[in-house]
Amino acid sequence: MQFPEAIDIPLDVWVDAAMDWVLATFSGFFDLLGQIILYFMIYIEKFFLWIPWPVLVIGVGLFAWRVTGRWWSGFLMGAMLFFIGALGLWKLGMMTLSLVVASVLISLLIGIPFGIAMASSNRFEAVLKPILDGMQTMPSFVYLIPALMLFGLGKVPALFATIIYAVPPVIRLTNVGIREVSPSVIEAAHAFGSSYWQILFKAQLPLARPTIMVGINQTTMMALSMVVVSSMIGAKGLGLEVLLAINRIEVGRGFEAGLCIVFMAIVIDRITFALATNKKH
Amino acid sequence: MRTIKKNVLMFMAVIISMAFMGALTPATAQKTIVFADFGWDSAQVHNRIAGFIIEKGLGYPVKFTQGETVMLNSALIQAKGPEAPNVNMETWTENWQELYDEGLAKGKDAGTKEGFINLGANFPNSVQGWYVPRYIVEGDKERGIKPLAPDLKSVFDLPKYWKLFKDPEDPSMGIFYSCIPGWSCSQVNDQKFEAYGIKEKYNIMQPGSGPALAASMEIAYKRKKPWLGYYWAPTWVLGKLDMYQLEEPAFDQKIWDTTRACAYPAVKCDILVHKKLPEQAPEVVEMLKKYETTLDINNKFLAYMQDSKADTDEAAQWFLKEYESLWTQWVSADVAAKVKAAMK
Repeated sequence: MQFPEAIDIPLDVWVDAAMDWVLATFSGFFDLLGQIILYFMIYIEKFFLWIPWPVLVIGVGLFAWRVTGRWWSGFLMGAMLFFIGALGLWKLGMMTLSLVVASVLISLLIGIPFGIAMASSNRFEAVLKPILDGMQTMPSFVYLIPALMLFGLGKVPALFATIIYAVPPVIRLTNVGIREVSPSVIEAAHAFGSSYWQILFKAQLPLARPTIMVGINQTTMMALSMVVVSSMIGAKGLGLEVLLAINRIEVGRGFEAGLCIVFMAIVIDRITFALATNKKH
Repeated sequence: MRTIKKNVLMFMAVIISMAFMGALTPATAQKTIVFADFGWDSAQVHNRIAGFIIEKGLGYPVKFTQGETVMLNSALIQAKGPEAPNVNMETWTENWQELYDEGLAKGKDAGTKEGFINLGANFPNSVQGWYVPRYIVEGDKERGIKPLAPDLKSVFDLPKYWKLFKDPEDPSMGIFYSCIPGWSCSQVNDQKFEAYGIKEKYNIMQPGSGPALAASMEIAYKRKKPWLGYYWAPTWVLGKLDMYQLEEPAFDQKIWDTTRACAYPAVKCDILVHKKLPEQAPEVVEMLKKYETTLDINNKFLAYMQDSKADTDEAAQWFLKEYESLWTQWVSADVAAKVKAAMK
């Protein structure tokens, strides 16, 4: 049975009109915001491109050894990074890494306060939850183009698209972590006359730390998984290499770049996961 | 409660069995014609026009497979599986030259089932080049834009205007939006950069995808900002935005083969079909051999799409109405009558 044509919600027209309005009214604001973010990202990228590769390879190896407590794990992490360089993809790898790091830093800056707010208000949680669902399931190309319209091609829209996709886990898990803190702890803190902020920083956040760390781990992994998609709006790095290989059907080249992304994912995942579960810290 | 549940189950069973019956009805004996549905409008409209004539006039079922240039063309060469395209209405050979040569060679080789044959031009003289918005050069009184680069006429004027097209990520250079990574035009643009001596002043931005390139140009245009990059016609973007093509030395095969320091050659957009198609659907191949349009017609239906927000199907219908005297030459009178009867 056909849906009656008379019922037609012109949502597309509204969205287009809203977009035009935003562009006409706030383009100066977005230019400025874009500039600030761009400088931040260029700085991070310069830093990663500046670190001598042996420092990073050995440093990551040692750090992984320390957090996982297994020497062979550290050795493997270092070897994976070394392999990226050995394939001739070091520079592209560092560009990708800097995009991931920048978007994770901003995601945490946004995500943790939102998670805290969500934990302290049931109504806010009810409002935010469906929005978070939407952010994670909306096909990324739908918001890539508006991001591009606001910030032009390149690093900045890629960062925005990545944040939209990657920020929900840290918000959700911060919320869950704080809510799971046993009520008796809070009561005890109240009994000693602690203020809201004291309870938050001295009791809730430390106890929720492992859960929040899992959220950070997931956010990082999702940011990494956006690298190929964000190369479609001009972000340089391993993602663009994959895209190039796909467009030219160069299987070997695509495999190399894809493998590097996998290695990066393993290194980042194991280290952040070890940090999340490590009880010594 | 129980009866409601039962009813729901019965209802679902009926729906599912209906769906199965639909799926099980024997497929028509005719070969399905699968079009390579590239991501730009003119190719899609040509697919809809040819598809409509083939389906309604010649009685073959048609299908459209979406994808990127190289992917669809290699699928066309291999022709494996029911989704693999067997017709490409718009070749743009230059952008996948190596694969094209390989596919054409295989098409002539009787020892393999792979490969395609070229049925000749769909339309000649499509344009590729480097563009800036016209208001940058000539200004636009209506929109209150002063000409920022009145002397920017050719690619050789670019070095002195690099500041106008400053790269936000690297303010010591200008920025040039090149073509989609993987298309050969992106390598051609690199070579031209060397040859025209503008490499020292401009960075090349690889936009990553067709929509991204189009959006970067459109948004600069909307915001009255400078933009410099590669584009091609026929496309709705160049139909809608008033862009100025920078002059290059006239096309010369010798220069092209060595340094590429000349204009892009006019591209002939040919129609390709898989080499088995003439056996499987001879009438279809006969029709496609005669299928030919002009650049002007392409620009017209693209402008129509843009002006009336029509989709590719509607643009194809518009073409069939407007250019009846043209397409009726491609088919016999009774086929033409069937197509006309089916038109909306």
